[in-house]
Amino acid sequence: MTARRALASFCMIALALGAFAAPVAAQPAGTLLVGLVAEPVNLDPAQVTDLNSNRVGRRVVETLVTFPDESTQVVPGLAESWTISKDGLQYTFKLKNGIKFHDGTPLNAEAVKFSIERQINTEHPAYKIGKYPFANFFFGNVKAVEVLSDERVAFLLKEPRASFLSILTAGAASIVSPTAVMKWGPDYPSHPVGTGPFRFASWDRGQRVVLEKNPAYWKYPVKLERVIYRPIVEDQARLTELLTGGLDLIVGVPADFVAQLEQNPKVTLLKQTGAHVWYLGINNQKKPFDDKRVRQALNYAVNKDAIVRDVLKGTGSLSKGPVLPGTWGADAGLKAYPYDPEKAKKLLAEAGYPNGFTTTMWVPESGSGMQAPVAMSTVMQSNLKAVGVNVTLQTMEWGAYLTKLRTKEQELFALSWMAGTEDPDMVMYPLLHSSQWTPVGPNRAQYKNARFDELLQQARLTTDQGKRAALYREAQRILVDDAPWVFIDHEIQIAAFAKRVQSFKLHPSFDLRVETISLK
Amino acid sequence: MRSYIARRLLLLVPVLLGVSVVVFLVLHLSPGDPAEIMLGSQATQEDLTRLRRELGLTEPLYIQYLHWVTHVARGDLGRSLWMKRPVLDEVLNRYKATLVLTASGLLLSTLGGIALGVASAVRPHSLLDRMSAVTSLFGASMPVFWLGIVLMVIFSLWLGWLPASGMWAPYGGGDLRDLLAHLILPAVTLAAASLTIIARLTRSTMLDILNQDYIRTARAKGLVEGRVVFRHGLKNALIPIVTVVGVQAGYLLGGAVLTETVFAWPGVGLLMVQGILARDFPLVQGCVLVIALTFVLINLAVDLLYAYLDPRIQYE
Repeated sequence: MTARRALASFCMIALALGAFAAPVAAQPAGTLLVGLVAEPVNLDPAQVTDLNSNRVGRRVVETLVTFPDESTQVVPGLAESWTISKDGLQYTFKLKNGIKFHDGTPLNAEAVKFSIERQINTEHPAYKIGKYPFANFFFGNVKAVEVLSDERVAFLLKEPRASFLSILTAGAASIVSPTAVMKWGPDYPSHPVGTGPFRFASWDRGQRVVLEKNPAYWKYPVKLERVIYRPIVEDQARLTELLTGGLDLIVGVPADFVAQLEQNPKVTLLKQTGAHVWYLGINNQKKPFDDKRVRQALNYAVNKDAIVRDVLKGTGSLSKGPVLPGTWGADAGLKAYPYDPEKAKKLLAEAGYPNGFTTTMWVPESGSGMQAPVAMSTVMQSNLKAVGVNVTLQTMEWGAYLTKLRTKEQELFALSWMAGTEDPDMVMYPLLHSSQWTPVGPNRAQYKNARFDELLQQARLTTDQGKRAALYREAQRILVDDAPWVFIDHEIQIAAFAKRVQSFKLHPSFDLRVETISLK
Repeated sequence: MRSYIARRLLLLVPVLLGVSVVVFLVLHLSPGDPAEIMLGSQATQEDLTRLRRELGLTEPLYIQYLHWVTHVARGDLGRSLWMKRPVLDEVLNRYKATLVLTASGLLLSTLGGIALGVASAVRPHSLLDRMSAVTSLFGASMPVFWLGIVLMVIFSLWLGWLPASGMWAPYGGGDLRDLLAHLILPAVTLAAASLTIIARLTRSTMLDILNQDYIRTARAKGLVEGRVVFRHGLKNALIPIVTVVGVQAGYLLGGAVLTETVFAWPGVGLLMVQGILARDFPLVQGCVLVIALTFVLINLAVDLLYAYLDPRIQYE
């Protein structure tokens, strides 16, 4: 009897629990639910380095210059115009009139000076209340920011740098309300105040960040009433929420879900190639990789098409070099290394390795922009084995991997780069100029070519975009011939969203611009 | 009794100190540092050096530890390196969610496990007993994250009965019903393994006790079967069960890390995972401290329960 009773009570508990099954509440009008892969760290773009924080934080604050939809060409933002001095050392901006921060503070030259100098001037009253990890990377070249009048502000540079306007589109260059920063002090990142299309409303830790529409937005009337960001780490959970109405929009759809979502009538998929490059780095100073023929052989040996097709399943487009094809700095005539194992074997034999050699490939298990590092590297390992190069894969956790890459002991290593802009200076210079060799900078391939260095330097000093493009084209041709990396792919970002989401566009900078959305 | 509790509570201090030293060393000796992770692949040496200095990572390890301990002694767990927010607020905020989840998991596994165990023991080798043996095998061998995803696909995606993630509905909701709807899947996922362990233990202990002479006596004097099983049988079987439940509480606190990640449950576990990946020392230390404290207190409660269950046990 007891057994039956126990079973009966068990069923009753189950039924009682079932009664709590919540029906999905009706969506309040104008509310967009966005799924994030991770919770934002904090909402001051000058103090964060991760994509998810920027995707939320940059809805609240804006920059002097910005990108239009679907491109990373620089256009006016909070500044309506600018002039560049002949020597390229002074950038003067004229601010748009009558813009106010969400807290009522007027946007003026002082606010611009405050926003940048708090990061680089150790004497600045706001310097101590925050940590600005990329201050030097972006503004190390800024000598001072000068207020010329209420609406005119000048940036004085230490040396000319043609990509300076692109730098001013970065999250770290956002203009913040000085009143709010001084009011909140170290807690400002949880109470951001800017001029953006949305203002910060609330943040329930681990659950949601809520932004509300800025009714006084200067650029256009914002159609959404509010945006709720929900951090959901597990891919399956994010997908389920999208399909059951708990989310309206997700980005970074895993490759394995793409085919399934393409068939689903409830959602729309949107794809766009981002300003990103994934490469297999080669230590150019270490034997046998100091021989160009060996590096070229590796490029011929790796079947990039197979990686893009079978591993990335449409979430990557083939890369010929570091610059995103189709942008102004890219060389349209650049030839990708075709998959040609015979040619690879021949080159290896010429270089004195007819029987190949043994080497090690370092691979992170995951990491920002790393797509599917282990699966991609495994394909490369078997490709290389086919031409006689025996590769041992060493996988590491991301944090440990970054530290290891500082040792210069690397032979082959998988890495990626999200420049966030199409300006070639922001990709080629840090990753491949010889002044940037690790540990000083991020040139982990220890690549050096005097002519290439000279071209990059010249392009930095030239303000005319057409002339810069010509210099970069030549540099790319040298680069592809030198083959300091095995060029693999540029990530295609994939967004999936519910049918009620209208006029959403993905941005190549990986920013998530929900302000363009209207809801049906 | 009172002095026993006082002594046990005093013992907390060395236990927590020990835990903090171990966690501190594990985090600092494992490769990767917070500045490196924050700056990612674009870091320059100059930026790294500057950020390390600003984060206080250039001090010798023992100075860093002493600095941390003296602040903790004053009730200040520091600021998270990575989020820049006070650790104490952050951890306490998340702790409520973890407590709700693990307490429900514990309740579910204990009640379910005992019920199933007793039912199996009363009728050994019956259909129910066999079924429970098979289910136990499954329950004990299924990884938490896998079970979580399977339950999510069935009950959220296919049937649409329960929400797939989070603790509250993204808007509206906020009442008990909303909480319970979100709680069911994670709690069941978390409880599954413990439930089967408790069920098997209850079964074997009960079988043993139901064959004792005093049970035969109880039946002989004409007691109702339910009274025999629960009053005379179960109460005497409870000591080993309570011990295991105490151990399982620790297991559930650990399992919450995975469950919270799968179901985006806003608890300490999820926060700790993010903290570890970012090598956010103060944050991880804070999380571990709170979890260790909970575990030690649960064990103290279990020890005190013994005396209640068996009056022959006394504390000195």
